[in-house]
Amino acid sequence: MLTVIRWVFGITFWVLVGAVFHYTLPQVDIVRVTDTYEKRQDIGENAWFWAQADIGTDGTLANRDVFFIQTRRAKGDVMVYRNEDTGWSWPPYFKFDTSNLQAEAADARSTADAPQYYAVKHYGWRNEFFTIFPNAISLRPVEGPDASKGIPYLNIFILALFGAVVYGIWVRWRRFRMARIDPTLEAIEDDFAEKSSAVTRWLGTWRKK
Amino acid sequence: MIGFIRLVVMGFVALTVVYVCLSFYSRAVRRSKLRKKWYDGKQLVDRDTFVQRGLERYDGSIRRKLILGVYVVPMVVVAVIIYLTNFA
Repeated sequence: MLTVIRWVFGITFWVLVGAVFHYTLPQVDIVRVTDTYEKRQDIGENAWFWAQADIGTDGTLANRDVFFIQTRRAKGDVMVYRNEDTGWSWPPYFKFDTSNLQAEAADARSTADAPQYYAVKHYGWRNEFFTIFPNAISLRPVEGPDASKGIPYLNIFILALFGAVVYGIWVRWRRFRMARIDPTLEAIEDDFAEKSSAVTRWLGTWRKK
Repeated sequence: MIGFIRLVVMGFVALTVVYVCLSFYSRAVRRSKLRKKWYDGKQLVDRDTFVQRGLERYDGSIRRKLILGVYVVPMVVVAVIIYLTNFA
């Protein structure tokens, strides 16, 4: 039973950690920008997945206009990106050039007849049920739909660093447990075994010989 | 602006915790190294004086000031990210 609880807890924890990384780390899509637009957003319970108003503007108002970039991805499906400042808060992209990026995106539009492909760096998820969109970080032109996305050095570095930290903590915890907790538990178990055998012996004296 | 102030304050607090821990740790490591050196050496002065002198030299050393990198490195990283995200 305890093992089951431990597994459930462990899997839930690591799935959450994985989700946070998958949401936060940058990814690259090869896309054709089809249009750009802005739309007023009345952000509600999906507020977690939206950034804040542009840096320097009043962030306390209930709703605001958000830039969007509509694209068709090289693999065929469509993807809509929001384009918001992350500013000084999480995730730490320190993006302040939302309007500039929107100008670039508007300039990058192309039709299916004369396609021009771009690599969009972004983070976040598209989910239709919560109306959330990945946030575009930057845009650069690429040769075609099969262009390479590049090796994600930053992601490799961050994940390796995280792995090293987790491994370091785990090793120390295991050493601590072997040195301190396990002997104590064993002592308790031995003690218990001794006591219970004493009880059995005492019961034995009442049995018929 | 509030966001910036919040980042600076929280970052400062977090990094100060790291800085304090690291400087205590580094000093403790230096102390144990000095003790070891005293045992291995000729033992011309008593141990406490030897360690004390060594630590005073450590307090003025560049090695100790390097721990200030705890503040400097994240600031440089943030500046580089800001440049790469917005101006590159």
